[in-house]
Amino acid sequence: MTPIQLLLLLIVAVIVLLYFRRLRTRLFDRLFFLMIGASAGVLVAKPEWATAIANALGVDRGADLVNYLGLLGLGFLWLVLYTRQREIDDRLTDLARKMALLEAKKPKK
Amino acid sequence: MAKKERGGTFFVVPAYNEGQVIAETVRPLVAAGYSVVVVDDGSSDDTATKLADAGVHYVRHPQNLGQGAALQTGARYALGEGAAYVVHFDADGQHSLESMEGLLDMLMGGDVDVALGSRFLRREDRAAVPRARRLLLKGAVIVNGLLTGLWLSDAHNGARAMTRWAAEQIELKENGFAHATEILQQIHAKGLRYVEGPTRIHYTEYSTFKGQKATGAINILIDLILRRLLK
Repeated sequence: MTPIQLLLLLIVAVIVLLYFRRLRTRLFDRLFFLMIGASAGVLVAKPEWATAIANALGVDRGADLVNYLGLLGLGFLWLVLYTRQREIDDRLTDLARKMALLEAKKPKK
Repeated sequence: MAKKERGGTFFVVPAYNEGQVIAETVRPLVAAGYSVVVVDDGSSDDTATKLADAGVHYVRHPQNLGQGAALQTGARYALGEGAAYVVHFDADGQHSLESMEGLLDMLMGGDVDVALGSRFLRREDRAAVPRARRLLLKGAVIVNGLLTGLWLSDAHNGARAMTRWAAEQIELKENGFAHATEILQQIHAKGLRYVEGPTRIHYTEYSTFKGQKATGAINILIDLILRRLLK
């Protein structure tokens, strides 16, 4: 095992651990992430597999395939985070609106 | 409308740091006997003190949320107070009471749920719109038509009057300025009956300065498209 492989494996392990610590809910998300983490680990340990898969899919180098999938993953991540952000905004608005209505002042007669 | 019946008509005035003009803006409305609810969108200026004796209902967001959110809060409040009609009215003094009464009259017959102000129905109103803005507005009209299916003569001038029923149907989720297009989307989606009525917008130096800039239009468009795609 080369030093870069050790380094990458370590990073993958840390990310997976952090993720599990922070997000305890949403089973699907966790399984999905576990799968991503596992494939990352496998590809680091066996880089030639990436190339084999890439070739099967019509991509020359394994690294290119990983790059493409990584970009797609980033896009997906952005989408999920954006949607969550909107949800949080909506909730914040509801809360602020309720407070505002509770403290509304009628005109002095 | 007889003056004593006017209390059931609520003018919703969203205000964010409009202390300079807010008292002046609401005075004629209150004097005419209408109910006015100012939604202070988390202002950091003296908007609240300026309104202390103005005879208006005052609702304050604990923090700034945006004009769309303020209109929604105001409508919710007005409905809670038993409003028969809800009117959207800008705080910067660019709308006239006279125009809004024209829109309200259109609702009286009962054939219409929402009356939308337009600067492009009368020659003199149109002439009052600065030329650069006219071009921008025509662009916005096309974008609105494509996004909402409602083809109007004007876009985003903020002057609207609606019946209680329509106000109950419309629920704004766009907190920012994209709400103006969102309202049209909901009118279309809920099959509300609408009409356009003539409005004159007074472009004072103040309202032009505080008003939306052309660059804002691009942000609004992006908001709308994202919202549409990611719903």
